[in-house]
Order: sequence, then C-alpha cells, then structure tokens
Amino acid sequence: MLKVRIIPILTFNGFGLVKTKKFSNPRMVGNPVQSARVYNNRGVDELVFIDIFATSQKRKINLKLVADVIKECYMPVAIGGGIETIQDINDLLKIGADKVIIKTKALTDIDFIKEAVAFFGSQCISIAVDAFKTPEGYKIYNKLAIDKSLEDYVQELIDCKVGEFVLVSVDNDGMMNGFDTELINSVEKMTNIPIIAVGGGGNMEHYNELFSKTNIQAVGSASIFHFTQFTPLDIKNELKSINIPVRI
Amino acid sequence: MVAIIDYGMGNVASVQKSLNFLNVKSVITSEHSVIKDSSIILLPGVGSFAQGMENLNERNLVNLLTEEVMIKQKPFLGICLGMQLIMESGNEPYECKGLGWIEGEVKKFELLDLNIPHMGWNNIQVLNNKYYNNLENSDFYFIHSYHVKTTNDQDIAATVNYGFDVVASVQKDNIFATQFHPEKSQAAGLSLLKTFFDLNA
Repeated sequence: MLKVRIIPILTFNGFGLVKTKKFSNPRMVGNPVQSARVYNNRGVDELVFIDIFATSQKRKINLKLVADVIKECYMPVAIGGGIETIQDINDLLKIGADKVIIKTKALTDIDFIKEAVAFFGSQCISIAVDAFKTPEGYKIYNKLAIDKSLEDYVQELIDCKVGEFVLVSVDNDGMMNGFDTELINSVEKMTNIPIIAVGGGGNMEHYNELFSKTNIQAVGSASIFHFTQFTPLDIKNELKSINIPVRI
Repeated sequence: MVAIIDYGMGNVASVQKSLNFLNVKSVITSEHSVIKDSSIILLPGVGSFAQGMENLNERNLVNLLTEEVMIKQKPFLGICLGMQLIMESGNEPYECKGLGWIEGEVKKFELLDLNIPHMGWNNIQVLNNKYYNNLENSDFYFIHSYHVKTTNDQDIAATVNYGFDVVASVQKDNIFATQFHPEKSQAAGLSLLKTFFDLNA
C-alpha cells in the first residue's frame, strides 16, 4: 500500500535557512546542509528545498549549495527557486534533484510548463500553488498583481499534466494553528494529481485532523520541525494510530 | 567498472552517489570505448520514453548496448525509465519502439480512484528473490505514470500493489531492472544495490 509522505521543507534566503509567517518576517533557522544531513539520518520520506527569494532577487539558485544538500540525501529531493528555463531544470536534475518545484514562471508562462512536462515527463514537474482566502474565494498569491482564482489556475495546471501540486496556504504559513482543510479539499476534488499540503502544522492534532478530513497523500512542514520537539517520526506514529499507512 | 550510461535523461549523480557509498567503482559515460571496457552496465533515467529512445539513438547507443547486454551478456541494471526502455515498446507520449530485450510494453496508468503519478513509498511483493534477500514487503520509492507489462510472468521479479499488481522489477538472465529508485530508497535501496553488485562482482 502506498504510504503517505511526511516532508520537511527547507526554505532558503540565499545565505541560510529561514522560516516565514504568512510569507513575511523571515527568521533564520539554520544551515541547509546540516539540516539535510539530520533529516537523512532520520529517514524522512522526502525533502523539499526552496530558495524563496531567488525569483524576487533576480538570481539563479546556487547549484553548488543545492548539490551539497542533495549529497546528504539518500531519499528523494525536490528543489525550487528561480526556475525559468529548460536548462535550469536540466541543471538541477543533473546534480540529483528528483523533482523541481516551479512557481512564478508557471503563473506568468503556462506554455513553459507544457514544454517542461513534454521534455522531462510529468513526474518531475511540481508546481507550487500559493493560495489565500478572499471574500470571493481562494486566489493565487503573487507580487505581480496577477488576479487569478485558485480553481482557474489549478485547472490550467491539470491541463498541462503537471506531476504534483505543492499547495500552500499563505494565511496559515508559519502560524502553527492547523491546516486549511477546506482549501486542500477544494483542490483535491478537482484532480488525481498528487498534492503536498503545506501550511499550519503545529501539533499532532493538526496532522491527525488533516489526514482525517482530507484524502491527501503528502504533507510538507517546516515550523513544527524548527520550533518544536516534534519530528517526522512523531507525526507518523500519530497517523499510524488512526490507521493511515506510513513508512516507519 | 560500472558504466552508468549518460544519455541526457537526468538522475545520474544520485545513482553514482549510491555506488560510491557502496564502494563500487563507476563512471558516468556515453563513450563507446568506455562502455565496451566496463564490466556492468547501468541505465538510469527520468523522463519520457520517446525522448529516452531518441537520446540513445542520437548517441548511437542502441546497437552498442544491445551488443554488450544481449550478446556479451554483461550484467545489466536498469532503473525507472531504464527499466521501461528495455521493453519492446512504449507509449509516452506516443507509440515508440524500445530496446526490446524483454518481451512486453509500457502503458499509461489508467486508474480512476488513485493518484497519478504513482508517487511515494510503497511495499513490494517479491516473486524472484535472486537480489531481494530479506526485502520482501520493504518500502521503495516509486515515481511513475507509465508501467511495464511483461509478456511472460516469469520475467517479473517483484510487483507493487497500486490499484492492481504492477510490475515493480524484472529479472531475466543477466538483466535486472527496477521501476522504483533504489538510489532514493534509503536502507532498503542500498541493500538491494549491494546484493546486485556483490553477486555480479
């Protein structure tokens, strides 16, 4: 039986790891290579590493550093940040990334996503979808003044046959107050493309609720691992207790 | 020396990292002379079937690899796309001839209730334990939207249940291949690779 995936997320600012709240106030939380080593030793299911400022600071992700992070990992790694060309994707896959996570470029140039899927296959093209709640429903968070509803955007990406969604609740980012299960279910019911739900995990109850109230297959978290004693294994033990399949 | 075939289809670094961990000497290459001199051939790969065959053809590797594996009978390990390409035909994104070393084809998953790609850790059922000592029911990391269908059941080394019993690994004579990524499957994956390289040393 396929196991659910518990995925630590490392967000990077070009110098060190940071953790934001509602996409603001980045706080330094450590060294990426060291963190990757710890997670590998803990046998986590997968790791996500994103340079969250690469696009806005108009720079490419540091391939040397990414290679050092991947070197620590004997599990799958997904890398994101500033990806704009087929060459960018090739560079990351070549140094051992299993998936790339694309955000801004998907929002501004959907044809690029079609091209990337045709070239590399669906399975290694993950798309980060940052959603926030408005009175008119969920919309896509961005700094480019693009007004797009969650539903329209997800449908466009489904039509591109992307391999995975990294679905982030901007409102819940770093708040550790629980997941936005309404958001997750609204995307989950549209597609059978795998989704990594992100944003809001702070204690075991939250993960219990997430997997009880949704059919999600994967969760990505950062704050809980940075700021509490809980580890990915604690989450798995919690899920095992409610008969969710996990790899221990 | 293991020749890890470099044909522009990703993933080579991770494979070599695992071999380094196991102290197995390898070289990432597409050079004919190096491949001819190697003792084991490893075909990794991520991407579409048609692109994979095109890239092998561009590098004139189809005949060379067939010669080394099917005639000289060198031990062969295929991973993910590397397992799919040894079948007779694929369908990603259009119908396309494969290397044809194992009878069968590669088809898209058609599952109504399950996520596609089949992505994540799933446990295997071992049918041929030549390389799967103590790995019955172990979890391995899968990521694929297409799956292999062999013509002959005896070529299947392991299956994985995802809606039905999907071929997870094939084994025939000197040919061994996995749909999952042993190089990404932590202890279980390294153990499988160690057995393969120990037995073929």
